[in-house]
Amino acid sequence: MTGPLLTVSNLSVRYGAVPAVADANLTVEQGEIRVILGANGAGKTTIIKSILGLQKATQGSIRFDGAQELRSLRPHQIHQLGIAWVPEGRQLFNTLSVLDNLRMGGFASTDRATTERRIATMLERFPRLAERRHQLAGSLSGGEQQMVAIARALVSQPRLLLMDEPSLGLAPMVVRDVFALVREFNASGISVLMVEQNARQALAIAHWAYLLETGRVVESGPAAKVAAKDNVKEIFLGGHA
Amino acid sequence: MILLLQQILNGLIIGSTYAVVAVGFSLVFTVLRVINFAHPDIFMLGMFAGLWGAHLVSSNIVVVLLLGAAGAGLFGLVLEQVVIRPLRGRDVLMTLIATLGVAIMLENGMALIEGPDPVAYPTLLPQAPVHLGGIAIGSRQLANFALSLLVLGFASWYVRATRYGRATRAIAERPDVAAAFGVNVDVIARITVVLASMMAGVAAVSVGALYGSAWVFVGTLYGLKAFIVMLVAGNRYFEGVVAVALGLGVVEALVTGYISSSLTDAVAFCLLILVLYFRPDGLFGSYAI
Amino acid sequence: MVSWGFWQPVIIFSLLNVVITSGLYITALSGQLSMATAALAAIGGYASAVLTTNFDWPFLPAILVACALGAGCGALLALLTIRMRDFILKLTTLAFGEAIGVIAFNIPYLGGANGFSGIPLYTTMPDVVIATAIAIYVAWCFDRSRLGFAARAVRDDPVAAAATGISIAQVRIITFALGTVLVAGGGALSAHYVLFVTPSQMGFYFSLTYIIFLLCGGMQALWGPLLAAMLLTAAPEVLRFTAEFRLILYGGIIVLVVLWRPNGLLPRRAIGAPIMQTPIGSRHE
Repeated sequence: MTGPLLTVSNLSVRYGAVPAVADANLTVEQGEIRVILGANGAGKTTIIKSILGLQKATQGSIRFDGAQELRSLRPHQIHQLGIAWVPEGRQLFNTLSVLDNLRMGGFASTDRATTERRIATMLERFPRLAERRHQLAGSLSGGEQQMVAIARALVSQPRLLLMDEPSLGLAPMVVRDVFALVREFNASGISVLMVEQNARQALAIAHWAYLLETGRVVESGPAAKVAAKDNVKEIFLGGHA
Repeated sequence: MILLLQQILNGLIIGSTYAVVAVGFSLVFTVLRVINFAHPDIFMLGMFAGLWGAHLVSSNIVVVLLLGAAGAGLFGLVLEQVVIRPLRGRDVLMTLIATLGVAIMLENGMALIEGPDPVAYPTLLPQAPVHLGGIAIGSRQLANFALSLLVLGFASWYVRATRYGRATRAIAERPDVAAAFGVNVDVIARITVVLASMMAGVAAVSVGALYGSAWVFVGTLYGLKAFIVMLVAGNRYFEGVVAVALGLGVVEALVTGYISSSLTDAVAFCLLILVLYFRPDGLFGSYAI
Repeated sequence: MVSWGFWQPVIIFSLLNVVITSGLYITALSGQLSMATAALAAIGGYASAVLTTNFDWPFLPAILVACALGAGCGALLALLTIRMRDFILKLTTLAFGEAIGVIAFNIPYLGGANGFSGIPLYTTMPDVVIATAIAIYVAWCFDRSRLGFAARAVRDDPVAAAATGISIAQVRIITFALGTVLVAGGGALSAHYVLFVTPSQMGFYFSLTYIIFLLCGGMQALWGPLLAAMLLTAAPEVLRFTAEFRLILYGGIIVLVVLWRPNGLLPRRAIGAPIMQTPIGSRHE
């Protein structure tokens, strides 16, 4: 299949009178990790939510796999196309067990056997979660919750993973593990669109980066190039390379 | 001592009906974020659906229960489609008012058909005293209790062990995330309303058969109590609602037995004020609204 | 042509509802949309009726006692709900109203289920007109006063209001109490016109009527709800011919109006922000 997996064109989103995203253009190529950098309030989460159908866009188009226009679909239909979400702040179902959270990840499939198998694979990959599989998700540590959030998204074997600030609130060592994990499942073919404030680690694993400032894409290019830009260095990388 | 246990058992029995109605109320509230003011009248509708079924079809208890459930469920389905769904996304006050309008129509419509006074209800089961270690209880009361527990058990199983039930809990907690994982919230919403209605229908037939009477305004009796139970328990845990409902039944029974029957209805309100003053989210917490 | 005998009660009822709606308007300005209006009015009715009927009090002092009692109840309700979020607050006032009805149902001294009757007919047209003028004046003054603005601030942006030194608790308690003074006064007048007070008139169904006046009239200005109160009170009287279908029609009209104007007939802010929206398309957590 040629062409980018995801194409966002001229996306604009307003909250009432306030423009949150203005004329944003970005793509995700198959097999790539692409990162959107930006300060708080820059509009990063708005873009993610627009792709997921959880936020109505004022104008623009979001195309998946070339042909499918996402703006005309409901969120559950968008998920069924193969897009999964690791929300900002994890947003697990805290009153459900770890296992049930994973089951919710596989909700879209009515084939119970396959889903259970995929869940078993996840639990093998994350033994800490396997230990705690019957615990309420809300009782886990931050790092463990992030694992659950990622595992939950992976159960459906998505083609595109949308990750919103996966490093938020996590200890540095855990952050390292998370990014290693992202690289790992990207290697198995899952494309990733990640929103991050932790620029250094994100740029280290990304193929391409966008910089979002007050709703506009102001930089776009291969990760290494964007990392070398002065404005990025100043704001995100503490002023030194 | 025996008298005390007797009262407690009576209280549990009454409380179990409160629980069924309250759980239905609560389920709809947590999933759709609406107060279905017509829920107690769907209860009443189920009662009469059973009554008509008993006269027109058969007085076999299973048939009557099924007809009651079906009648209530059918109305719940229509209500969801015509009134609740179009108001999705609007201020919840609107749905409350609209369902109140439906409740008024239902009550007065039924009053035109059946009259505003209680009517006779087939009792469906023979009454015989059952002795449980010194306590005497009628077989009808026991059947009523068992039925309520059965319904509650089913609801608990549904919510814990089925795919849709899990999705229901997921929506209650985080509707956006649930949708983003493939849950069609509309479908689940509809199923939840129908289930809650059917549960109420079964409980209603059970109550009608227990007391041998049906009343067009019976909804108000159970509705207010169930509503208060829901507020007191918070909507986070299904079990909390059941616990509070049973507790309320027991306290009411004790108050009736040992203090005065005219204060019975005030118990619920006092409980409401007490709990909500110290724990505004309810005893067991609520999902952020 | 219908006679004065037909119109006089209609006008009196309409004006009494204007009095009560003014009270609700005041309370609602601070964002506390009380769903117990009818119950509070009836409390005023019972109180004044007991005094005039059983203790031979003159009318005016009895009304004043009713108003004072109303203030107390309003303050109490405000206190009880002080920590509550908007929606739970509405629900609690609803439960309060219903529960008061149930309690009154069970008190034999107040007549129990049949209500309190034998009340002397003290309310005259001039009384009602004067009361209406007073109520409108009070509400109008409140609307334009510092307290009125503070109330709106508390309703629209409690955080900002607190930051400017407004005590949210005080404002809420005072507006609830003040509003309920008018409500209870209206109830007292009504009791001495209708000549009985019953528990069945305390329910949410009746309280809702006043809320519908607010909704239809809009909260931007005092006149809206008052006009709605007059029109919507007179209308059903005129519809009397529908007899036994009246309530069914009433219920049906409510449903249709809500479905027709699901955003309410006024800007959302006005009766408290829609803090709850049903899932999807809304931003949760």
